[in-house]
Amino acid sequence: MKPSAFEYFAPHTVKEAVELLEKYEDEAKILAGGQSLVPIMNFRLGRPEVLIDINNIKDLDYIKEEEDHLLIGALTRERDLELSPLVKEKCPILVEAVSFVGHVAIRNRGTIGGSLVHADPSSELPTVICCLEGEMRVVGPSGERTLEPEEFFLTYLTTSLEPSEILVEIKIPTLPQNTRWSFVELSRRVGDFAVVGVATLLFMEEGGVCKEARIALGGVASTPIRAEEAEEVLAGQKITDALIEKAGEEAAEATETEPDYHASAEYRKEMARVFVQKGLHEALSRVKGGK
Amino acid sequence: MKLEGKYTYKASQQVVWDLFNNPRHLEKAIPGCKKLEERAPGKYDATSKIGIAAVKGTYSGKFEVLDPEPPNRYRLIGEGSGTPGFVKGDGIMEFSQEDESTVVSYTGEVQVGGLIAGVGQRLISGIAKMMIKEFFRKMKKELNSLK
Amino acid sequence: MSEQVKGKWVGKRMKRKEDLRLLIGRGNFMDDIRLPNMKHAAVLRSPYPHAWIRGIDVTEAERLPGVHGILTGEDVEKMSNPFPVGVPVPPKYYSCAVDKVRFVGEPVAVVVAEDRYIAEDALDLIKVDYEPLPVVMDIEEATQPDSPVLHDNIGSNIYSQRFFKYGDPEKAYEAADLVVKGKFLFPKYGSTPIETYAVIASYNPYNEEFLIYNNYQGPFVNHSLVALALGIPENKMRWIVPTDIGGGFGTKTGMYPYIALIALAAKKTGMTVKWIEDRREHLLASSTGTDRVTYMEAAVKKDGTILALKDKAIDNTGGYIRAPEPGCAYRSTGNHTGAYQIRDLDREVLVVGTNKCLTAPNRGYTCQELYFSLERLVDMVAAELGMDPAEIRFKNFIQPDQFPYSTATGGFYDAGNYPKAFQMALDMIDYKKMRKEQQKARKEGRYMGIGFATVVDPSVTNIAYVTLALTPEQRAKGHPKSGSGESVIVKMDPLGKVHVIACTNPQGQGHDTVISQIVADELGIHPDDVTVSNVVDTHDRIYTITTGSYSSRFASVGTNAVVSATRKVKEKMTKIAAHLLECNANDLEVKEEKFYVKGSPERSIAVKHVAGTAHWNQTALPEGMDAGLYASSLLSMPTSKPPDDLDRVDSSNTYGFVAEAIVVEVDIETGEVKFLKWASVHDSGTVLNPMLLEGQVMGSCTHGLGGSLYEEFAYDENGQCLTASFQDYLVPTAAEVPKIDIGHVETPSPLTALGSKGAGESSCMSVPAAIGNAIADALSPLGATIDELPLSPSKIWHLIQEARGKK
Repeated sequence: MKPSAFEYFAPHTVKEAVELLEKYEDEAKILAGGQSLVPIMNFRLGRPEVLIDINNIKDLDYIKEEEDHLLIGALTRERDLELSPLVKEKCPILVEAVSFVGHVAIRNRGTIGGSLVHADPSSELPTVICCLEGEMRVVGPSGERTLEPEEFFLTYLTTSLEPSEILVEIKIPTLPQNTRWSFVELSRRVGDFAVVGVATLLFMEEGGVCKEARIALGGVASTPIRAEEAEEVLAGQKITDALIEKAGEEAAEATETEPDYHASAEYRKEMARVFVQKGLHEALSRVKGGK
Repeated sequence: MKLEGKYTYKASQQVVWDLFNNPRHLEKAIPGCKKLEERAPGKYDATSKIGIAAVKGTYSGKFEVLDPEPPNRYRLIGEGSGTPGFVKGDGIMEFSQEDESTVVSYTGEVQVGGLIAGVGQRLISGIAKMMIKEFFRKMKKELNSLK
Repeated sequence: MSEQVKGKWVGKRMKRKEDLRLLIGRGNFMDDIRLPNMKHAAVLRSPYPHAWIRGIDVTEAERLPGVHGILTGEDVEKMSNPFPVGVPVPPKYYSCAVDKVRFVGEPVAVVVAEDRYIAEDALDLIKVDYEPLPVVMDIEEATQPDSPVLHDNIGSNIYSQRFFKYGDPEKAYEAADLVVKGKFLFPKYGSTPIETYAVIASYNPYNEEFLIYNNYQGPFVNHSLVALALGIPENKMRWIVPTDIGGGFGTKTGMYPYIALIALAAKKTGMTVKWIEDRREHLLASSTGTDRVTYMEAAVKKDGTILALKDKAIDNTGGYIRAPEPGCAYRSTGNHTGAYQIRDLDREVLVVGTNKCLTAPNRGYTCQELYFSLERLVDMVAAELGMDPAEIRFKNFIQPDQFPYSTATGGFYDAGNYPKAFQMALDMIDYKKMRKEQQKARKEGRYMGIGFATVVDPSVTNIAYVTLALTPEQRAKGHPKSGSGESVIVKMDPLGKVHVIACTNPQGQGHDTVISQIVADELGIHPDDVTVSNVVDTHDRIYTITTGSYSSRFASVGTNAVVSATRKVKEKMTKIAAHLLECNANDLEVKEEKFYVKGSPERSIAVKHVAGTAHWNQTALPEGMDAGLYASSLLSMPTSKPPDDLDRVDSSNTYGFVAEAIVVEVDIETGEVKFLKWASVHDSGTVLNPMLLEGQVMGSCTHGLGGSLYEEFAYDENGQCLTASFQDYLVPTAAEVPKIDIGHVETPSPLTALGSKGAGESSCMSVPAAIGNAIADALSPLGATIDELPLSPSKIWHLIQEARGKK
């Protein structure tokens, strides 16, 4: 299929991009990596009248360290995140999660900003950003604002971005030395959308006690969700197999799974349990930075 | 796909019944509705721009209220078609008084066909449910606007 | 014609000649063809599975700048006839929907515009008034008299139905100790070639001739059928199929309605029109294999001998039925009993329509459906009797000393050694060790399974089989059909280099390479001295009505034609050499580019010299001999005869064998399947080029894997297609394919010049059954069984829950 006709702009600065968005609002879509947008356009599922190509805004492509955070420009390619020694050292869960995104060719073009704004609840980046409690910095005509994941992800394919706003940066914490982490996923084939994806972070304190647990699930609701009841089971505890089992059960309870052609709703709910448990086992078996 | 749900509105059954039969309010609550016209009692023509994010389409269609039993229940059938495909629905709306509130419950079937069914089936069930939730949420807003 | 020839080149692992041009982007595919003033077409397709077309309004679309014309069903009905098809009461199948649409994706109109973008813009402006009708999606429901009827002129959804009886099944049942029954569901899936359908058509109103470029795997019968549909004689339609086709696998051997549709669009608009199917169109409305419901039962003795088979098979060809269907029900007649000595059979065959897209042969054509049922049933019989599934197969195999073997259904198995091949597969997976490991795994709460499929791989279809749709009485009144032919021209130039003109129609199998190897061996030259032009041109090429690349026929009848033509050239050259050397032709042999007198090698003459004489010095030739050096061969397999009055037919010509042995482990928590071992042993007769054969085996194994675990053309209960993109139609990628060990056994066919048989479809037929058997074996302790495909993890998980629920 071929897309319907559109007007094309290629701004060089964020300011120009925002001006264009303000002018065209709902009629415009931003083109970053195009890995989600272009198929939508080619299928004519979406017919934006205006395409704003931001690939020339080089200022948006960076990975920087600042105190105890990493600042990632929205235009950073998924492949660059995957291969970044800085990210691997400071926030390895992000490298692991992004390695599940499609195939290398897709990651060469896809961007972190694009993936987050596309907000597919089965995607790996929204799930891991929820787990990391990343902050999304957004720029619009009236200035800047910062959004946390619960505010950012509203529902299927929908964020709280106004039509004239653009995501410019994602801020994620660098992980303390002894953090246990994992990203596990069940998919039909390598590179497919997750049936269920689980991002797990365990912040540890002395004596092997888990100070804080964060478990985010993708593919089980209209946005990625945090399994709060499961997290409470583990917080402040020394994690045992029994607790892992309970955490998995609590997490599954919290899901509102939908059936589709590939998997039933019951199966997805059950896999949420299984993979939260797998994620916890994997996290515990891992020392930060290695397996 | 089969859908069902319940929503509670803080008003009497008659008020809620009237609300759910009033095109002026329905127009504001139906997802993406640009125009809703009642061409005969209980028969509506609608134009809606429905979609989510980049995936949008304009649908023109018809709704019809069948077998009304005021103020307790009616059957609603509807169909809209547009370039991305078509949507068909058939459901029962039931109203019952509980203390000072009215519970509106619906059961029905929605069929989605054409392009979106073929390439978007992974998300359709969830998105359809979400849009129906949106409709009922917006009807709450409409109810509040009456007060 | 039965000497096995393995010279210097045939049998060698030679790299393919085709690859360089393909790898550097210099292939010649349909999309490489640029004609002057070519316009582009887009097809409007129905979003409804079953609906009356009450009206089509194209006025707004026609006015869009850049649109050159629009063709609708009304035009198509006026300008063409329905496609002929071999059933007693055919549906009216046109290349475009006329009165009704009968599956989602059916063409409703064609726009011809300056480019594809504008054509699609115009599609949006066409208004169609549909009146939806109830749908019939379930195969068994379609057999019921009260199901929604697709074709009023037929009155029911049954396109074809026949009953067959061979031997004496009642007597066999009386002698049996036990009857084991099963019901099996084989899914609708296909081979999704990388290159989709493509057509470039133009019409010359002055001589009333069509010129149509397309990527059909033929001309194979279709040229004649499309001509009938267009209402023209065959010599008014020239088909050209370019050198390179990006995969066919049978998708491009069924009725290819778009050839007619685009031809009509070209005729109506007076333009040269190009249409390339996009992937969504391919997944909605090209061709798939049939889905099939099979009830099959075996009457057996306690010792495992299978005495009789009874089955009812219902194939679904979708909203219409089109040639070569109802072949889906009849093509495997000759090999219906597979590798086993079963003489007594009772069969009921039904071919029905539902509101799904249409079918064509799909790599393996009918055998994957057949063997999934048969091989699963054999395992179920073994389980009932407490027998090892390997042992029961050895017990029932046709034995090596019984070849050539005539089956109860008319098949003539040319050669085979089934026990040897199966034993090789068992040894390759270390069967005894695997059973021990399975015991150990079960104690540890892990679920390992071992599955086999031992199947007969039929190649070179005899077109006579389609007439089995008619009863013997009906056949007697009509014209019989039979044959499987091929034609090749071999010519040698004055310097002794050879050019072969073939239309074997390859879609990536490497025919040109194999042809070069054969010619080189026969004429004592080098494969690099042989060039091949393998293009179909129905005006300029000599071909048979069965010519094409399907049912793995190149290796048998294709090579027969190559050898035949080449030997004619060789014979002529030998006579010339004898004449020049003044000796007896029988005393000569040719090797390393020279003709030698046997025993006196110093008396020789170069091939080049012989060729040069034939062209340059005609008076030096033996008296009465024509000048030049070329020969043609147009032959058919003599075993391709019409069915007899007892409905027996040799539906194919050469019969290979595949033994698949697969070991899996099923994770019962997630339903995921892991492959531990996989051995695939093939007997395709003489192996012409082992590298090419392995490529075919890997490909057919992967296609088989696809249908077992991943692929399905899925529809919901309302008739909507759910798998119209590769996001949901899951083709296995390299990451999904496990390590597969390939083994060979060679039992040369007495029916082919080189002893070779077809190989390309092989594992498509055996893998779904073997994987089904392996997973059933893994889950047997839980009481779960396998009777349908594909098996997604979610499905397997549900089977396990259900089985546990019953306990």
